[in-house]
Amino acid sequence: MTAPGVPASTGRGVRVARAVLVVVGVLLIALGGYVLTQTVRPNRYGGLLVWLIGSVIVHDAILAPLVAGVSLVVRRAGRRVRPAVLAIVQTAVVVGAILSIVVVPEIIAKARGTKNDTVLPFDYGARLGVMWLVIAVLTALVATAWVMLARRREARR
Amino acid sequence: MRQLLFTLRTAVSSPTRNARTATVLGRLLGALFLVCLLTGLYSHFLQEPAAWMRFPTRPTWLYQVSQGVHITAGIACIPLLLGKLWAVFPQLFQYPLVRHPVQLLERASIALFVASSLLQLVTGLLNTYQWYPWPFPFKQVHFALSFVIIGSLAVHIAVKLPLITRYWRARDSYDERGVFVEPDGALDPARAEHTATRELAALRGRQEARVASRRRPAPESPAPAPAARASTPAPGLRGLVGRVARWIDTAREGDGEPARVRVSRRGFLGAIGVATGGVVALTAGQSFAVLSPLNAFGPRQAGLGPNDLPINRTAAAAKVLETAMDPDWQLTVSNGSRSRAFTAADLEGMTQGDERLPISCVEGWSQTASWRGVRLVDLMALVGAPADARLKMTSLEERGGYRVMLMGPEYATDPATLVALELNGERLDIEHGYPARIIAPGRPGVLQTKWLSTIEVVR
Repeated sequence: MTAPGVPASTGRGVRVARAVLVVVGVLLIALGGYVLTQTVRPNRYGGLLVWLIGSVIVHDAILAPLVAGVSLVVRRAGRRVRPAVLAIVQTAVVVGAILSIVVVPEIIAKARGTKNDTVLPFDYGARLGVMWLVIAVLTALVATAWVMLARRREARR
Repeated sequence: MRQLLFTLRTAVSSPTRNARTATVLGRLLGALFLVCLLTGLYSHFLQEPAAWMRFPTRPTWLYQVSQGVHITAGIACIPLLLGKLWAVFPQLFQYPLVRHPVQLLERASIALFVASSLLQLVTGLLNTYQWYPWPFPFKQVHFALSFVIIGSLAVHIAVKLPLITRYWRARDSYDERGVFVEPDGALDPARAEHTATRELAALRGRQEARVASRRRPAPESPAPAPAARASTPAPGLRGLVGRVARWIDTAREGDGEPARVRVSRRGFLGAIGVATGGVVALTAGQSFAVLSPLNAFGPRQAGLGPNDLPINRTAAAAKVLETAMDPDWQLTVSNGSRSRAFTAADLEGMTQGDERLPISCVEGWSQTASWRGVRLVDLMALVGAPADARLKMTSLEERGGYRVMLMGPEYATDPATLVALELNGERLDIEHGYPARIIAPGRPGVLQTKWLSTIEVVR
């Protein structure tokens, strides 16, 4: 008998696919664990565990709530702004933030010193600044163009 | 506790965060993870082959492309993974935390999956910057975690399969006004997938009925009447958080309007798409010459370095500044008891071969260059090496993981493999392996041994 609320798979195909996926998945996880024990010394496991848990904490407890908070404030602040313009600005911020996430460690790595001059050869900080400037200009252009087109459309009605 | 979790869940809910966006991003991410696994395994076995393994030497750019794809796909995963986690973030605050064994499996597999994926992307990215701030060996952990990631991904897909199939197609996910069709019991995810499958079957049935009755269009009900919600009545938000939430929600009366929801959803997917395109376009120039003009943030730049080519290990780091410049340097080539030694002048006096071959680093950067030197097959013929010979090459380096390199017969007998003396029209720079280095088609840069000292036939 199936208890209420128990996820019941429908159809033989789905049941078989799920069973195969779970078995293969568990085997692969076990293989990963085995490879780890064969190649990494046990005194390193603690550090690895800290970094694994730490990466989740940094995301779930710091990064994600921050983004959720910002988006809530934008939702409130955006009451007089057209939804499309809001979407354009949000896109710009998301793009800039993600590029910054990729580039900031690069700036730190370069500041710490590299093995030779062909590793990290650029001034990444300056380039990141230019990128934010380009994003700001592009966003302003696209948003302005959008508003002008929308007004023209509305005036025609 | 329940109130807190519910409050958090409601506070972070948003029209862009639904099972359809999770499916759209999830399948892209899944495909890229698989690409990373396969290209990663190829790179791994090139460096640590089993005895029976043979690899293609043509096209000569095979490894250049496979490793470039590995790194670029990994970088593309960063915005996609962040977007995916954003789409499913409210699921973190389910109540009760665990309701059913399947859900325990689900949450455990997700925890493992998210942790290992985040760590894999972070360490992989920082490895391309040659920055290692963690207390464990990069290469070994990167390799082991790749299996854990794909394994927990398989479990995750198994758990979510009904929801994934339910929201695979856009037309099953949104009604005529473009509003997301909730899985029944959205606040009760343990039940959601169960109802989702039933709903899909019902939807299919309705579609078939619609097709059957296309001739006589009947007045249709716009959306299926929602069945009784989960047994838990939704408690309203109380306290400070509730007040803040109301302040935000009353800001725009039309927040729930289908048109606005559509814009917000498309804006979200558009932002993730542009961000993915952006990080790829501005970094992939290190691996793909076509994108080189856009290479603003790649950790390497083609054409930069001695002989117009970047380097990794310097002569100073390898401690060969003296031995490599020694005028008495000789390359010793041996096959059992037959052995011959060649001075730099001897090698320069032999028939030279010209090849255009890429240097492709495991860190993803690569550059195709012009090489000139003695063909390895000519050299090995002088000591009567057999066609199936495996070779062992040793560098002047005193220590280092790649001081000794083994070469399978597929590379040893390939006419394109050179003992290179010149690079891009000049004598090899000491940073590139003066007086002689090996360059073979389709192998990782770490196996293109610099500062050659001996070549031996091994059986």
